[in-house]
Amino acid sequence: MPNLSDKILQKIKEEKIVPKPRWQFFLKDYFVWFLFLISLILGALAFCAMLNAFYTNDWDIYRYLHTSLVGHILISLPYLWIVFLAFFIWIAYQNFKYTKSGYRHETFFVVGLSVVGSFMLGALLHTLGAGAMIEESVATSVPFYEKIACCSARKDIWSQPEKGLLAGEIKSIMDDDGFELEDFKGSVWQVEKAEKMLIPGGFLIVAGRRVKIIGEKRGEMRFWAREVRSWGKSER
Amino acid sequence: MLDKEKCSEKTDEELVGLTIRDQDFFACLVDRYSEKLTRYVMRISASTREDAEDLLQEIFVKAYRNLNGFDQSLKFSSWIYRIAHNQVISQWRKLKSRPQVVKFEADEDFLKFIANDEDLALDTERKFEGEEVRKLLNTMDEKYREVLVLKFLEGKDYKEISDILQKPLGTVATLINRAKKQLKKIIEDKNVQF
Repeated sequence: MPNLSDKILQKIKEEKIVPKPRWQFFLKDYFVWFLFLISLILGALAFCAMLNAFYTNDWDIYRYLHTSLVGHILISLPYLWIVFLAFFIWIAYQNFKYTKSGYRHETFFVVGLSVVGSFMLGALLHTLGAGAMIEESVATSVPFYEKIACCSARKDIWSQPEKGLLAGEIKSIMDDDGFELEDFKGSVWQVEKAEKMLIPGGFLIVAGRRVKIIGEKRGEMRFWAREVRSWGKSER
Repeated sequence: MLDKEKCSEKTDEELVGLTIRDQDFFACLVDRYSEKLTRYVMRISASTREDAEDLLQEIFVKAYRNLNGFDQSLKFSSWIYRIAHNQVISQWRKLKSRPQVVKFEADEDFLKFIANDEDLALDTERKFEGEEVRKLLNTMDEKYREVLVLKFLEGKDYKEISDILQKPLGTVATLINRAKKQLKKIIEDKNVQF
């Protein structure tokens, strides 16, 4: 093609076009990788919160809620964290595709890499206790979290004494056989301990501690406790 | 002015390095690729030679601007074909009304490929010639036509096509298979008589 190269060179010279500096390309590459890593870390945080929600859930209380185990599992799944995890995996996938050689990899490889990366990092963070911290801080700062996270910290679920579930703060220790508990609605209950009352985690029953109790309502504002669990995940 | 003889023994990649120091060397890269890219642009965009040449200026200027971003793990030809491919796509977007059916003027090379393709000939038990094939190709999806162009006309291997279209190798192989199947189906459906 005659003169095309001359035309182009002329245009380059007239318009003073210069190659973009190398650092701009490096910056762009590093930025995309940075976003990929951030997405992976956020996905890992969502996964470790999910693990925490899973491990600390009261899976056994479905018996008291008149529902099936499957039904209880379905309402107990940490949907919020699952959605977050899926979202960050998707963002990580999108970023990876825009890395220099990201297009060379099949979708399943990139998604698999993001999933495995988030899971491994998430599991590591969970063992370091990050899951409990995340869930706790989200529960205190996001008002609706308690409503959607079933069931270990659901006040409504644990305020059903007729079904054998009661929770609140220990007001005073009466004697070796019982204590006084103020439920979340402000009513004070006399709680009688079972002879072999279970205390998972072996914490002390002391005034000021928030607990949830599995047992039986026995009369007006009287409750018999077969098992006492700590209320907050950080209060274990 | 640069003596273009100096370029003849240089590789594309060496010329990129030289161009960064002295822009006159860019003329050698333009000379080396202008004809190939004009044909390629015409083949995938159904534009006239004049339109293709206008687009080619933009392609080369864009390549010049981005020379420092040239990925040394790629062949220069894959990189510049990628820019051409992206520029054609963005041209379509600019026009907004991307035509549903692009009039594709199949050239002799393409017709030869179709005529000589053993799979197609065996499947349909007939040999193909010019005008009918042009009509058939006009009904193909653009994405399929483009991989056929790259594979059979531009002579690119799977890795190069993958780098140009920025798709995984597996996807490229699938696209080529589907393109050939689509062509066979079009031939069968239309019961083309040659």
